[in-house]
Amino acid sequence: MDALTRDPPQNAAVQDPARPQLDLELRGIRKRFGGFTAVDGVSLKVEKGQFVCLLGPSGCGKTTTLRCIAGLEEPDDGGILIGGKEVTRDPPWQRDIAMMFQDFALFPHMTVAKQVGFGLEMLKKPKAEIAKRVQHVLKSFEILELAERKPASLSGGQRQRVALARAMITEPRILLLDEPIGALDYSLRETVMLELKLLQQRTGISFIWVTHDQNEAFSLGDLVVVMNHARIEQQGSPEDILQRPATAFVAGFVQGNNVFRGKVVGEGAGVLSVETAAGTFRVPAIGTPPVLGSDVSFSVRAEQLTDAPTDQHPNRLTVQCTTVEYFGAVRRHIFQRRDGELLKYDQFGAHAQRVAVGQTAVLGWQVEDSVLHVGVAR
Amino acid sequence: MSTIRVRSPASYWLAVPAAVWMLGVVVVPIVLLVWVSLWSGRAFSPASPLTFDNYAKFFANPTYIKLIGSTVVHTATLMAVTGVLGYCIAYFLVVKVRSPRWRLVLFLAFIVPFWTSTLIRAIAWVPFLGVNGVINQTLMFVGVTQSPIEAFLYSRAGITMAQVSLYTMLAAGPVVYMLNSIPPQLREAAMTLKAAPFTVFRRIIFPLTLPGVVIGQVLVFLNVMSDFATVATIGGNKHALLSNLVMLFYESSQIRGASVVAVMLMLCMLVGVVVALRVVDIRRLGA
Repeated sequence: MDALTRDPPQNAAVQDPARPQLDLELRGIRKRFGGFTAVDGVSLKVEKGQFVCLLGPSGCGKTTTLRCIAGLEEPDDGGILIGGKEVTRDPPWQRDIAMMFQDFALFPHMTVAKQVGFGLEMLKKPKAEIAKRVQHVLKSFEILELAERKPASLSGGQRQRVALARAMITEPRILLLDEPIGALDYSLRETVMLELKLLQQRTGISFIWVTHDQNEAFSLGDLVVVMNHARIEQQGSPEDILQRPATAFVAGFVQGNNVFRGKVVGEGAGVLSVETAAGTFRVPAIGTPPVLGSDVSFSVRAEQLTDAPTDQHPNRLTVQCTTVEYFGAVRRHIFQRRDGELLKYDQFGAHAQRVAVGQTAVLGWQVEDSVLHVGVAR
Repeated sequence: MSTIRVRSPASYWLAVPAAVWMLGVVVVPIVLLVWVSLWSGRAFSPASPLTFDNYAKFFANPTYIKLIGSTVVHTATLMAVTGVLGYCIAYFLVVKVRSPRWRLVLFLAFIVPFWTSTLIRAIAWVPFLGVNGVINQTLMFVGVTQSPIEAFLYSRAGITMAQVSLYTMLAAGPVVYMLNSIPPQLREAAMTLKAAPFTVFRRIIFPLTLPGVVIGQVLVFLNVMSDFATVATIGGNKHALLSNLVMLFYESSQIRGASVVAVMLMLCMLVGVVVALRVVDIRRLGA
């Protein structure tokens, strides 16, 4: 991919020198379809060469956000800046982006070579240059031997490569990817993910990757943006989101969190007492402590629990084990909580099983392992 | 579910009814037609010796040769007009009309007239095109002309107008189908690859609908070539195409002449269809 070197920014004059250069900025974009609000005030800053994952359940507005960035939808409100240039009302073909579609959207009547060269053709590059660059890109994506084939005769993995080559050849500032590996066989995904991550790092093109799969988001993203109901719930590094979920939704959406909702019944020395249907627990306060009696939620990660609580584990629950799932790396125990929800407790997979199905156990965790959700509870 | 293997005896037996039907209504009549066209002499009898005299007579008459030419020109004109108009209608229906209900309503409005026979619809044009017809009265009312335009009825223009209205949907239908089968992401993918809308149409949409265009053109071509009724009704006795010549010979009991012209007409059609199939492989339409 050494051919994919970036041109110098064409709009350097528009840049605000005080700010670090942003590849993309969304300023409170809103999009409604009839009575349905698909995107409701989404703001986002993407630094140069960042790998951003928009993560959320289906219908959360992540794809609409992506389509707004591409120019395929026009936001009702708000602004979109690409490389510091206002493009909110610009059509897709005037934006410095490329897009990879979920089902790849290959042109059925064009050969792979024609298809990959299409973007350069549109940029009115000379024929000889197009042929040379297509050749080079096909070679670097290891699909040179497919050059004269048409999409109908390609496998899923091959199509994915062609779609990627077609999008990358114009060296856009931002590559938008809508569930780019969702259509691939499961066994292929891990390899392709790694390849894409390496490609992104090598080219320095910002990737905006839409997915509902948190494994993809957390293993790929420099910045993960969790969306729900047309809004951003939380954005941060994968570690931020996994270790410090900001809302009950984020905590419940990402794997391995036990979420509790309750009322603040006491406060002292920076620790809150929270009364829930499953018992009363001690949770460290963050920022301005909530007033007594207010509704709060917190979570604790499944791997932070212990089945042999000591004095250091004042938060305790007596629960019965209903299922044990073995994933190799972890052994997950599912318990029935008193408030009707499930409690998850993870052990290292390499360790011997300590709690059997049907067994009642006392599980505990340290005060500082509870994470209070500071985001607006919705 | 049981399936029938391609070369099993059952599959051949199942093809028999259709084969018999095709033999009876297509193959045998065509063989008869060609046979009769080769009869010589004056007697109308199967005993006549077979020669090419009838064809020689046909080609010796420059009027007939010219008629082939004018039939081809007329058909080509209609194909061009219905092709462009039909494509526009199809594009409008599929791409521009967003509401499925409106699309259905409009589609029905275009299709329902086809429930009437071609002859009736051709005749229905007469009160529109006549000297005191609707078009002329409208034009005079609006003030475009002072006196009625006589060129509408009993003219080549009138025939063309009527046939355009009769056959445009034949050109549009297959294009509607092809346009519907293009995933919207292809258009979007092309746009994100820096193609402006007209380029998207020229490079993506049109090539993908080309099979539909060609099929539509074949349908219009075959229908116009064989349409003697509209030409006779709207054209009066002033205009004729190859198909009318068949009628003319037939009505004057010149069966051999009629079969010669019919064979010529058939050959023209065959050439047209072969040319069309060279452009697009209809059998691979679904792919």
